[in-house]
Amino acid sequence: MNLKDVLSPLYVWKRAFEKPYTIKTLKEPRPGADRYRGFHQNDLDKCIGCGSCAEICQNVSIDMIPVSETKEGDSGLRPKIDYGRCCWCALCVDICPSGSLTMSNAYTWVEEGLDKDVRETFCFTPGVDKKPWDNEEKGYRRLEGYELSILERVKMEELAPAERVNSFIEMVKGFSKEQAKKEADRCIECGICTATCPGHMDIPGYIRAIREDDIEAGIKILYATNPLPGVCGRICTRRCEEVCSLSLRGEAVSIRWLKRYLTDSVEAEKYRDLLHDEVVPSGKKVAIIGAGPGGLSAAYYLLRMGHSVEIFEQNEAAGGMLRYGIPEYRLPYGSLDKDIDFIISLGAKVHLNTKVGRDVNFDDIYKDFDAIFAGIGLSESFKIGVEGEDLPNVTSGLNILKLVTLGQDPQLGDDVVVIGGGNVAMDAARTARHLGAKAKVLYRRRLEDMPADPVEVREAIEEDVEFITQGIPLKIEQAPDGKLDLIWGKAEMVDDGSGKRPSPVLIEGSREVMRVSKVIAAIGQGAEYGWLEGETTKQVKLGKWKIEADRWGRTDDQKIYIGGDMFNKTADAISAIADGHRSARSIDSYLAGEEYPKDRF
Amino acid sequence: MNKIYEDLSSRFTLSDYHQQRDNLAFVTVEKAQLVSAITYMRDYLKFTHLVLMTSVDWLEQGKFQLTYLLHNYELHVNFGLKVMLDRDNAVMDTIHHLWGHARVYQRELHEMFGIDFPGSPGVNEPMILESWQGPPPMRRDFDTKKYSEETFDHRPRQHVEPEDYLRQNLYPED
Amino acid sequence: MNDKYPPIVDGKSVYDLDSQKYLKMWQGPQHPGVTGNMSLELDISGDQIIKCNTHVGYLHRGFEKLMERRRYINCFPIVCRICVPEPDTNEYLFAAATEELLGVEIPERAKWLRTLDLELSRLASFFMWIGGQSGAFGSGTVAQWSIAYRDYVLDLFEELTGARIYHMYMIPGGVRGGLPEGWIQHAEKVLDGASKLLDEIYYVTFHNSVFKSRAKGLGIITPDLIDRFGVVGPNVRGSGIARDLRKDSPYLVYDQLDFNIETETAGDTYARTLVRWKEMHQSISLIRQIIMLMPKSGPLYTTLPNVLHLKVPAGETYVKAESTRGEYGYYMVSDGSEFPRKVTVRGPSYSHGMALLEHLAVGVNIADTHGLMISLHTYPPEIER
Repeated sequence: MNLKDVLSPLYVWKRAFEKPYTIKTLKEPRPGADRYRGFHQNDLDKCIGCGSCAEICQNVSIDMIPVSETKEGDSGLRPKIDYGRCCWCALCVDICPSGSLTMSNAYTWVEEGLDKDVRETFCFTPGVDKKPWDNEEKGYRRLEGYELSILERVKMEELAPAERVNSFIEMVKGFSKEQAKKEADRCIECGICTATCPGHMDIPGYIRAIREDDIEAGIKILYATNPLPGVCGRICTRRCEEVCSLSLRGEAVSIRWLKRYLTDSVEAEKYRDLLHDEVVPSGKKVAIIGAGPGGLSAAYYLLRMGHSVEIFEQNEAAGGMLRYGIPEYRLPYGSLDKDIDFIISLGAKVHLNTKVGRDVNFDDIYKDFDAIFAGIGLSESFKIGVEGEDLPNVTSGLNILKLVTLGQDPQLGDDVVVIGGGNVAMDAARTARHLGAKAKVLYRRRLEDMPADPVEVREAIEEDVEFITQGIPLKIEQAPDGKLDLIWGKAEMVDDGSGKRPSPVLIEGSREVMRVSKVIAAIGQGAEYGWLEGETTKQVKLGKWKIEADRWGRTDDQKIYIGGDMFNKTADAISAIADGHRSARSIDSYLAGEEYPKDRF
Repeated sequence: MNKIYEDLSSRFTLSDYHQQRDNLAFVTVEKAQLVSAITYMRDYLKFTHLVLMTSVDWLEQGKFQLTYLLHNYELHVNFGLKVMLDRDNAVMDTIHHLWGHARVYQRELHEMFGIDFPGSPGVNEPMILESWQGPPPMRRDFDTKKYSEETFDHRPRQHVEPEDYLRQNLYPED
Repeated sequence: MNDKYPPIVDGKSVYDLDSQKYLKMWQGPQHPGVTGNMSLELDISGDQIIKCNTHVGYLHRGFEKLMERRRYINCFPIVCRICVPEPDTNEYLFAAATEELLGVEIPERAKWLRTLDLELSRLASFFMWIGGQSGAFGSGTVAQWSIAYRDYVLDLFEELTGARIYHMYMIPGGVRGGLPEGWIQHAEKVLDGASKLLDEIYYVTFHNSVFKSRAKGLGIITPDLIDRFGVVGPNVRGSGIARDLRKDSPYLVYDQLDFNIETETAGDTYARTLVRWKEMHQSISLIRQIIMLMPKSGPLYTTLPNVLHLKVPAGETYVKAESTRGEYGYYMVSDGSEFPRKVTVRGPSYSHGMALLEHLAVGVNIADTHGLMISLHTYPPEIER
């Protein structure tokens, strides 16, 4: 042992003269670092209550609980966090699709009165229950360069614009198995889409089936709520994708294309084995007027319930608007027939070219059948309401589309103008492009106001359809060269301050002339009630716009149900399918003699 | 790696050889040959370091997989020897004479999986679970969630699934 | 042999506790010298240990079982809790094992950040250890210095990862954030201070007659023990054998960093302490190198398939890293489902703290027991998991 070893430990006394580095936390609280993972904050304006936070929490410390204030596309639930369980891992912040959930840098919480309910002790609903750290700027946010959710969708391959204008080949190519599984993997299974879908399809369910490569289970899920999945997989208006929680910060899951992938993966012949169900015949007969999506849907479910079904269709093929209103490049007839043939193969008797009120009497149907479901749709195109509308080369969008479906030449000439901004207008303009004519669209409002599907607008632009917006048609005149002169005026958007969307007002004296070979009006359609004549229809009440019926489609006559475009407000295929399904269940109860709740809205 | 495997396979009955990385491979050995194989690897192939011993419960196949992971300090490679045991009669030869810490591993495996290693010192003594009454807890048929629900009190949850909640509120009849 | 030892019959020492000549005493489970809870059941004669039995189980939380019923992403927040003083190694190894089975390569910048995080945690862990080591030999001053200074390192963690102890930073696929603004300057300051503190500690520890006399010759790990008890890490390096996974099987970016394996030859507590002290300096140097060399921009995370229903292909793997105590390993078996079939955690304390300690403790003075125990650097939480 040397002297140095004895003395050197005395060196520690040097420290006695240094400033102590103790932090006096009680007097001067030390804030957490900028990224500190402290108590939660929730931006209620963004939160949609999808429950992803509760799903990923490994400590089960997050409960979704109902709150009073909700908004559109919102489940009405908010995360309540139990700090007896929370481990501050912040995976809930990372997975939050809306980006509403964050963590503050606060880490002290003094709770008084621990004699209260144990479920309320050190638990709170961020954003709803006020806390001192609600507005704290510092704290954990998802950091740049790191993203747990998969925000980009798998790209769908489609034909190039130049390629597709030459033919009516389906432009979207569909997912391969790998692509579909990858896209299905993005779903976080919150189920908000299910509530939004008019048919309440179990969307997370069939997406899970795709992910697990169980096509059969997927098809069964589809048919539980939608007997035309192949159609909806192509042309659905997909409200589900609008509310998809991934769409808040990224792109929605391609729900429509995934549905299409499921139906494309199964051959038509296999449907029967797959969806095999023992049916006990009820001996009741139901008549269905109109073989559109609503009628077909009702037919499918009624057949499944054991009733015999006869369908009356005025056209030469079933499908309604799906066949005559949607161009082939969006919905090939083969795909449509696959779904329809399966429904008919279950035993539906179809009377084609049979118009009720012309070829067959409504009274006779009423007497022969136990119940009637009518899904006539909206077939009467609205008039533009300008002078010269009755000239020979002025027609309607639906008429053009129907002629093309029937294989007839719509005689468009080389230059057409479509008036309107809805899906029919887009279809008509694009059909004209596919037939080789130049096409313009004249719309009263701005591009962003168009009711048409934005994807269709984009595709129309890709196909060189020319858009003239804020243009109001004034008059149509016969031009000397056999063409037409469409006289129109420019409009300006006026906001009347009532909170409604701005309306177009014609600029005084504005007058433009457009020389075209055909004027196509596509500004909406109305219903036609020629079929509803006879002794037995007296009880059915007509409202201001449509026939009055409750949410089951039941009119004031117990036997008569309605559905589809003529009944619902949204007028799309999936709503019609949902109507058919709902009415079918109601008809089933009615035929079984059950009492039905009388609710109206 | 392949050389080691060839050397081993010329002496022992091996199956399921799988090279995971350049420096990591696994192979399954016959139960009766394990101790001689592992001794051979230690003494002749210079796998002098026993990294770990563990078991995987393949409940569905009725087997326990015992993994002995060895390390060679000269080649810096890991080699895993695996043995499949019957779940019903889980008895394995001890290797405590080869490595001192194998005794501890075997004691733990006995306690957690109920695999017996006759002859291993103190193998029957409880290591972690003093006064534990239930079955060996690491076996897959022991349900920890059920156990904790039966044994402990929980703060009840108030959770509502968004999908169910929406259905109840928006379309209860559909 | 000392006559204090009981007679040996058939290879076992035989003694009668009723003879009043021997005493059984317990050390722990609540002992400040242990980073965690474990107890030693000591049979002593006079003040010398003649038999030592380790008892663990005070910290058993059943992580391996918990992981069997958790999705991979949900295992990520719990693995760090396996070893309290040095959680990052667990995070890294769990992430690395999952990535390997998934076949995912993480971005370059994430590798650097992971290395940085691991070295910082090495420094923090060693600060904790050196406090225990000095405290065990009566030098509470060093313990106070080092444990207090560890908090400055934890400040760095707080700024980088958002938490002080359980960082939950290395998520499978990458890391959760880059360096915050001003972090490097702060780190430089902390590292400078650490370096200075280490020199002070050197002065009062290794030039301390008490420490020298008690630590020298205590718990000598002879080369024959090394393979027999699977000794790894600084315990091996204290016996003159240069083994370090960072050099031998480089992972992350260790192959791009400049460092040597520190060794001492004596194999006793003093040598091991010195090796660890040198490694603290080495850590500081590595952190400085990483800060200098690491890419300043680039992605941090490789997008995995949706973690809410992530399925890992069937397979098995073993990944390892050099922790402060030596080889730390994760053996992961996947059966292709959403949950790991089995994750086995190989903590170095397992062999050090149980079999080796029981062997080395025999003949040691009871006052030196925890000095010995801490010189093996055992963290009980990783023994029982």
